[in-house]
Amino acid sequence: MSASELAGKFVEKALEKGFSDAAISIDIVERVMVKFANTQPSVVQEWKTAVANIYLSKGRRVFTGTFQLDKIGDADKLLGEVGLLIDRLSESELYAPLPEPGVRSGFYSRVDDKIVEAMKDPSELVELVLEASSREHNIDFTAGKIDLWKRMRHLATSTGAQLVEESTGVETYMRSFKEDGSGQWGFASRILDKRGIEEVALKASELAYESRGRSSVEPGVYDVILSPLVFSQLMNVIAWMSTGLSVLTGMSIFIDKKIGDQVASPLLSIYDAPRDDKLPFSTVFDDEAVATFDKPIVEKGLLKNILHNTKTALKFNTKSTGNAGWVHPRPWNLVIEGGGFKLEELISEVKRGLLITNNWYTRLQNYAEGVFSTIGRDAIFLIESGRIVKPVERLRIADKLPRLLSNIEGLSRETYDVMWWEVRVPTRSPYALIRNINITKHFA
Amino acid sequence: MEDLLEKAIAEASSKGAKYVEARYHRNTYFTLRARNGNLIDSAEEIAEGISVRVLVDGALGFASTNRLDSESVLETARRAVETARSLSRFMKKPLELGPGRVGHVSYSVSVKKSFDSVPIDEKISLFNELWRRSREAVKEASVKVMFNEYEESAEEKIIMTSEGAYVRSFIPRVYLGYNMVIAHPQKGVVQRWQEHGGSGGYELVESWRLPDVVSSEAGVLERALLEGKTPPSDPLDVIVGSEIVGLIAHESAGHPSEADRILGREAAQAGLSFIKKGMKGFRIGNENATVVDDPTIPGSYGFFLYDDEGVAARPKYLYREGVVYEHLHNRFTAAEYNTESNGSARAMNYASEPIVRMSNTYVTPGDYSLEELIEDVKLGVYIKSYMEWNIDDERWSQRYVGLEAYLIENGEIKGFVRNPVLEITTKAFYSSIVAKSRDLRFYTGTCGKGEPSQGVPVWFGGPDVKLSKVKLGLAPG
Repeated sequence: MSASELAGKFVEKALEKGFSDAAISIDIVERVMVKFANTQPSVVQEWKTAVANIYLSKGRRVFTGTFQLDKIGDADKLLGEVGLLIDRLSESELYAPLPEPGVRSGFYSRVDDKIVEAMKDPSELVELVLEASSREHNIDFTAGKIDLWKRMRHLATSTGAQLVEESTGVETYMRSFKEDGSGQWGFASRILDKRGIEEVALKASELAYESRGRSSVEPGVYDVILSPLVFSQLMNVIAWMSTGLSVLTGMSIFIDKKIGDQVASPLLSIYDAPRDDKLPFSTVFDDEAVATFDKPIVEKGLLKNILHNTKTALKFNTKSTGNAGWVHPRPWNLVIEGGGFKLEELISEVKRGLLITNNWYTRLQNYAEGVFSTIGRDAIFLIESGRIVKPVERLRIADKLPRLLSNIEGLSRETYDVMWWEVRVPTRSPYALIRNINITKHFA
Repeated sequence: MEDLLEKAIAEASSKGAKYVEARYHRNTYFTLRARNGNLIDSAEEIAEGISVRVLVDGALGFASTNRLDSESVLETARRAVETARSLSRFMKKPLELGPGRVGHVSYSVSVKKSFDSVPIDEKISLFNELWRRSREAVKEASVKVMFNEYEESAEEKIIMTSEGAYVRSFIPRVYLGYNMVIAHPQKGVVQRWQEHGGSGGYELVESWRLPDVVSSEAGVLERALLEGKTPPSDPLDVIVGSEIVGLIAHESAGHPSEADRILGREAAQAGLSFIKKGMKGFRIGNENATVVDDPTIPGSYGFFLYDDEGVAARPKYLYREGVVYEHLHNRFTAAEYNTESNGSARAMNYASEPIVRMSNTYVTPGDYSLEELIEDVKLGVYIKSYMEWNIDDERWSQRYVGLEAYLIENGEIKGFVRNPVLEITTKAFYSSIVAKSRDLRFYTGTCGKGEPSQGVPVWFGGPDVKLSKVKLGLAPG
């Protein structure tokens, strides 16, 4: 039985057994990842998995599950077990019936055969990044990964959807080291863009080279220019805060905001972009078979959309935005609109500030007020009188997200498709100039 | 299942692997989530499969499948060998396997009160009780939101290697986390995310007495929100509560002591370490700075007796009386250090390679009571709990923002301080400890590391400690 047939049969049987809603997404994934350390592969990992994610409800009670396919094959047994469980649950306060599908049937393909080919033997890509890492600068060592995947997703719902989507993707990031300097860059795409992959290695090594000889700088209030890696990471936080469930569970700065409220500088527009096929998490339909569409989360500084599935949408008295997750809505890809500046022009706007090229470990004191800090890592440069003057040691941004969003004063024209360990939603991002940001470092 | 693993080992060996490790790994999870006392959903996950890791011509290959038929497992073994071999030409320094005392053993964690013996409505009613008790405890402000996640899980593994290791284990665990947002129209918001976890059965949930804990915390945090004042800005004595001390042990002793991190294997992800190879014996603090990692603590969330390379686990002194003492090793890092593995390799699930991990990491306790730590402080701050924290990617500069925190004047608690910031280097922290309480307490977390990122259950713990002459900052208002 094909995966689609298996999915269809499962939904049929679920309805026969008295479940009011049923959906199943069978994900068949092939994935190859080469991880690098000390300028050589540290491990090559391969996965071949087939997993079924199921959604069942009955009497407004909600169950989700993740199982192997053989468990789905014995649907009577599984549905019997879930039936016994679900009868003992209480009603879900978020229950909503599955919606009429926006996309009812079809086979959607976003496959790049070159990625499939590279998965068989990634050594050419390995050679490319290792060579490019030391092409222009004699670095000490480099690390990173090349991650290639092909995914086949079969979705069937009790509302009549029977859909298949196949897709490929690549994510690469590299971090290079030279003396006390280091630099990191990342990239992701639906297709095997060798130029994009190569540039990751070149850029990481250039930043490592340029950030040698770091000196300390005093904490205080600075204008900062955040690289696409840093800005993407913070906008990932914002995007997750913009999901309906995050708002409902107190994990959001939008907890008391209304659609149309000013939440950022008029320069900022962030879009959830499931139909942008250059970014690797694009999709035609969500887990409820609602047709996805690109939409602003924030547009010209105004809150435009909370991201919803049907459940959270009902709670907010609105419609799904095509972002299901059966329980937790999610952003697909993010696109942050670029501005009118070249990077050099952004730098020239800064009297005394910092160019921060990478960060990690963003944590919040409280989500409702957006009190947070994050640590700069890799290359950070001091800017004085519109010019980069020297690399500096690690610093921490410690401020409030609403203030950071409001103080955006310039965005670069050029944008970059970014993904790495700390940026898990693929994001197209410019450089961002933000005024008056609190910078801290350890006291002792 | 053992015969499948044996076949995988034989297949990979016949294809030229110098070392083969095959692991059957089954994780089951049952989760309930609630908002404001009402159930959102229930979820079940079974992650079951086999992984094969091989050393071929100095290169490491890993492959996994969740198809448990013989041909899929053999193909997995072949793929691991082929990909490792294809990349071996890039190995400037071929990987080697160090020694480790591998076991031939079965063990399991026993449960006093099985999850099945507790009616599900009793588990669900706990959410409502937590929500009710928190709201009753808050008078002037309000509990805006409470979110709960309850998870019971079981981890079953069989690990076999080409060198004869055989380790079969079964570890049930339980977890409960809550997020509580307390708001006041003029004073703003205070938020608490707290987790409880351990290995065992439902008896652990009962032992946590969560309704009382949540009620007490809600009342105290309301007062911290309403009454909290700015902390003094001059250097002063700081009592760091065991919850934060435990986190510090994890972040600034455990992580930098991971030998794979020291050797650069995580350089592009979680980073490097301020500890470099050859720094054993480096002075990191005073005689009070002793940190242990111990996976063998019964009932702990990070419990195991053999690691995922089949090597016997044991307690390790990471820092001992102020010096860097022993790192966390798997067999590959042990080879680099010319030592033997101390059993620190863990994999999250069948789809994950075993990498060097912590288990239960803690600062050893001292001789004082908390009251004795406080009684001779003229001016100080006691920071009992935290929300925001982070540390740099070499594990040197770290920041912890206090949640429940108090001013101390002349040996007495004198009201709340709001959002004090301890921003300090690893060396400064471990060098500033002048006294430790005798109360060793543990806290629950999920530690992230690796690529793809693996979250593994851990405890972190410690006593309350007194730091001398430390400067505090203030979180942005």
